[in-house]
Amino acid sequence: MLFGIINTVLIVSAISGILAFLLVIADLVFANYGECKITINDKKEVKVEGGDSLLSTLNENKIFLASACGGRGSCGFCRCKVTAGAGPILPTEKPFLSPQDIKDDFRLACQVKVKEDIKIEIPEDIFNIKKFKAKVSQIKDLTHDIKELHLQLLEPQEIDFKAGQYVQLQSNKYAKIKKSVSRAYSISSSPDKNKEIELIIRKVPDGICTTWVHEYLQEGEEVNFTGPFGDFYIRDSKADMIFIAGGSGKAPIKSMIEYLSKHKTERRMVYIFGARARKDLYYTEHFQNLEKQFPDFTYLPILSRPTAQCNWNGKCGYAPNYFDEFIKDPKNTEAYLCGSPGMIDAVEKGLKKKGVSSENIYYDKFA
Amino acid sequence: MKETPQEKKIRQNLQESGISPQGFLGEDERHIHEIVATDLAVLERLGKTKEEIADRMEFFSQEAFSHYDGNVIIDQIYEIEYDTVRGKIPCPFDHPGLFRKGEITLNNLHKNLKISWTPLNIHMIRAHGFFEGKGAKHRLEPKDLIEILFK
Repeated sequence: MLFGIINTVLIVSAISGILAFLLVIADLVFANYGECKITINDKKEVKVEGGDSLLSTLNENKIFLASACGGRGSCGFCRCKVTAGAGPILPTEKPFLSPQDIKDDFRLACQVKVKEDIKIEIPEDIFNIKKFKAKVSQIKDLTHDIKELHLQLLEPQEIDFKAGQYVQLQSNKYAKIKKSVSRAYSISSSPDKNKEIELIIRKVPDGICTTWVHEYLQEGEEVNFTGPFGDFYIRDSKADMIFIAGGSGKAPIKSMIEYLSKHKTERRMVYIFGARARKDLYYTEHFQNLEKQFPDFTYLPILSRPTAQCNWNGKCGYAPNYFDEFIKDPKNTEAYLCGSPGMIDAVEKGLKKKGVSSENIYYDKFA
Repeated sequence: MKETPQEKKIRQNLQESGISPQGFLGEDERHIHEIVATDLAVLERLGKTKEEIADRMEFFSQEAFSHYDGNVIIDQIYEIEYDTVRGKIPCPFDHPGLFRKGEITLNNLHKNLKISWTPLNIHMIRAHGFFEGKGAKHRLEPKDLIEILFK
């Protein structure tokens, strides 16, 4: 009886062992896709080792698509056109692709595995996106929950970006956080300063990256980021400009206005910055000084909920309350907005009502 | 109760530093299925479903999202406030999609009761029946939610 049981256990163990061995061999043989070719925009060819995701494979070849989730298939930012070699669409991609997207060959690069030669189409701007190593040269408190970060570029030593664009900062491991994450932050400095960038980072409760910046990151440390990304930038025209921001939405607008100051624009400009209370205001003096450098620029900080302790003598309410006063020629006005979805929606509605064309309203909505 | 590899991965996501520094389990050491089953039993006893709870939370959240700075009063009973922050968070149960960060606070002015949740709470309640573990930062007691969400 005992011999029979031992015999059965041995046979089952032997069969399991053989099956496991066969699986390892099969994985080595069938999952080895060898060298594959990625053709980009029908003109550039990259030879790669197959087997990894398209997103990772492109990253390894210094082509950086945007990604906020690190390739988990949960953000949808790495969408790109794959015209050949992508295989069937996975269920994980479907929530991010409309029927038209599918018709137009859009896929999520993090979900497409490189198994054969692939053809992709990506915007030319993406070739300007690089991975940067930088040193934290300064960290400054702007408000109770917003810090300004200065990053001095080490490698490459210069960056070429448009005022209003963003980078993806990669956090380091800290405390119990065992993996790094990438988060998008707008560059707040002007593109004219191309050896250093500044970021404005508000502390997000439970945010892995902002907790790292606010509580662990020290001056002198090295960090990595990729960029520049985004299509929120100043359009080249002579139209009047209205900038509206709230909270850390000030970052891209600061970059734009500093750029315009450096290039001595003569465009008529107004910047409305909305905050709840006086403690949420920052850079007030900086923008009041900039007012003097332009022929026609007004900086208007407004508070939606000033308290008695605020001792606030300035304007109150919301941005649309001031459109009649500051938008003189709606048909010839461009609007640049950055802030929460609620704010953007309300402001956009107010601008259209005032007569500003929807084609002239550009925004960076907090995701 | 044993854990499948998938359940193990979900538990790791739910623990502190998995997806958020503080995690979703608090000091709760029960199996995820047990946490969910206990809370769903409370709902059943009180005559509500997880979908009804999630729908009501979604209604108040959308009201707050659509307002300029997230502050709105409805029917002179509910005061809602949304503290907007930048960023999105994935579902720890590995669903596709990202959920807005930020906190919605609902004040039932008639009952003088207040409760706060995140958009991810709504998804986790609707899709997974998960109200977070005991002691977690955004743990929502089903009984308290029902008391405050429905007049």
